[in-house]
Amino acid sequence: MTKRLVQGNEAVLLGAVKAGATFFAGYPISPSSEILAQASVYAAHHPEFRFLQEEDEIASANAILGGSLAGAKSFTATSGPGFSLMQEAIGYGHKVGIPCVIVNVMRVGPGTGMPTMPGQGDLNQARYGSTGDYTSIVFYPSTVAECYEYAIHSFNAAEESRSPVILLSDAFLGHLNEVTDLDAIDLPVVPRTLEPLASGGTRLFSGVATYPDGEPATADSDEFIRQYNETRNHSLGVAERYAFYEYGWNKESKTLVIAFGITRRIAQPLAAHFALFRPIRIWPTLDEELTEIAARYKEIVVIEGSDGQYANVVERMLLRRVERVPLLGGRMSIEAIREGLDAIGMLPAEPAPSGSESPAGSRAGRAG
Amino acid sequence: MAVKDKLKTDLFPTIWCPGCGIGLIMQQLATVMDELGLDKSNTVLVTGIGCTGRMGAYMNFESVYTLHGRTLPVAEAIKMVRPELHVIVVSGDGDIASIGGNHLLHSIRRNPNITVVCNNNEIYGLTGGQTGPTTPKGTATISSPAGASYSPINLQGVVNTNPNAYYARTTVYHQGPMRKAIKEAIEWPGFSFVDVASQCIENNGRRIGFASANDMLQNYRTEYKAAPPGSTHLEPHQLGIVKGEPLPVADGSGNGSGE
Repeated sequence: MTKRLVQGNEAVLLGAVKAGATFFAGYPISPSSEILAQASVYAAHHPEFRFLQEEDEIASANAILGGSLAGAKSFTATSGPGFSLMQEAIGYGHKVGIPCVIVNVMRVGPGTGMPTMPGQGDLNQARYGSTGDYTSIVFYPSTVAECYEYAIHSFNAAEESRSPVILLSDAFLGHLNEVTDLDAIDLPVVPRTLEPLASGGTRLFSGVATYPDGEPATADSDEFIRQYNETRNHSLGVAERYAFYEYGWNKESKTLVIAFGITRRIAQPLAAHFALFRPIRIWPTLDEELTEIAARYKEIVVIEGSDGQYANVVERMLLRRVERVPLLGGRMSIEAIREGLDAIGMLPAEPAPSGSESPAGSRAGRAG
Repeated sequence: MAVKDKLKTDLFPTIWCPGCGIGLIMQQLATVMDELGLDKSNTVLVTGIGCTGRMGAYMNFESVYTLHGRTLPVAEAIKMVRPELHVIVVSGDGDIASIGGNHLLHSIRRNPNITVVCNNNEIYGLTGGQTGPTTPKGTATISSPAGASYSPINLQGVVNTNPNAYYARTTVYHQGPMRKAIKEAIEWPGFSFVDVASQCIENNGRRIGFASANDMLQNYRTEYKAAPPGSTHLEPHQLGIVKGEPLPVADGSGNGSGE
């Protein structure tokens, strides 16, 4: 039990190891590369932990599918452009039912964009990036300690849902160093749920629509819908057990601020003026929880590192107007937030007292 | 055990067209697997998208039917996590040499102890007969009506960029040499690649002037000749095996030494 400085990306790796991960495949990309580098160091000292630096992110994502099928809890880490390249494999993982974890340390896109600047523009891609319909479970922590915690939750949810789970981070959070005692965090670890390859059966793991015996079901709509509903309902049921969020700050305010990931930390100086809702499980959305909480507030404003990706979701969920403070081009600062609030006439009359950030002050909660 | 125990014969007939060469490869692969004692508890098949990819569904093994082009990352990861397993990739030429070409380059470089059996029919058969990476220059296809514009990929040259790899070229007509090539490939300690020329009568052969699958087989018989013993390089239409310097397998449990 020792407190020490830990970096967000390092905490993700340590959480993965704690969750029982034994295979990492990846490709270097800012701002996620520390996870790759530290996984290689960990593998050098722990032969049971397999590490493969791949030729690209397509190979990385497909390799963790293979590694997971072979029996290892498997993960990769990347950022926007690499995350785009992984989308086909993520969809395959959903179709086949393969537990694995993809860490996306978000930067500013599209394209190569701003490789070292923080962004939050991959929310929709984390939900809808692959072809077809599927049910994504996605978490987004806010502190270094949470990077560790939600890495463990991600592996657990992946095992339970038998699907690829996305752990979001960002360039600020990934490179943030905080004093924390990770040993003091005690979370249960879900054992493997998928029987490994060559267990004596003759299973066919196929991305093609197939019947249980492996014959193609590529023109059987009823069979497709039966399998789709079964998978969807299973994943939604699992997600219910991971309904993590934070609700706090000044609950007497008339305005609810919604912020997540690093943005919630940046908005901390506004604590005296607004109530806060921070979704940690980004997908599936926390409809029941947010609907109940939002009903108490006259105004809602979403502060996020994209041009309204989550605000659109909230507006559609609540069927009411939602104000937006988009933090674009990596300009994620309290000054940018104040400017954004001012532009929509919501800047608090008196400047909030500065400092006094205490991320552990309001505890992350869980529904139910 | 018998060869037929390696096959899910209850799913026969297969979806492959009459006259297709893939079944001839499956038969020899099953024969070799039987000879070497490969079974569902020690072997995994990894197949790619294309007609060839269906082979995994017809064999009595656990198999992964990957995304198009992604057999090698999946196979290499399986081998890394479970080095005691035999991992055999069965892929078409379009899958492994075009959309999966970058993985081929780099898997070869890393020399994993896996075997690739490539059904090389010089065409994208499943999608109807478009030019593929192995289509000979000048061949008329439905995406190159005036003849394919470019030279085909040199698979032997690509595989032999790894001085420790194994490359064999054979055809579905030459059943004995094909069996030998597959067997030695599975026993090879490192990356091995069996390049099997195979006919697609429906979506290639008739268009380029063959009347039947048998005519294509007879063409293999007359066109392909065994390379002289000791050859270190195969000329076009030569059958043979080119072996690099075998490296000891780091995990001590290679494809050929698992049992």
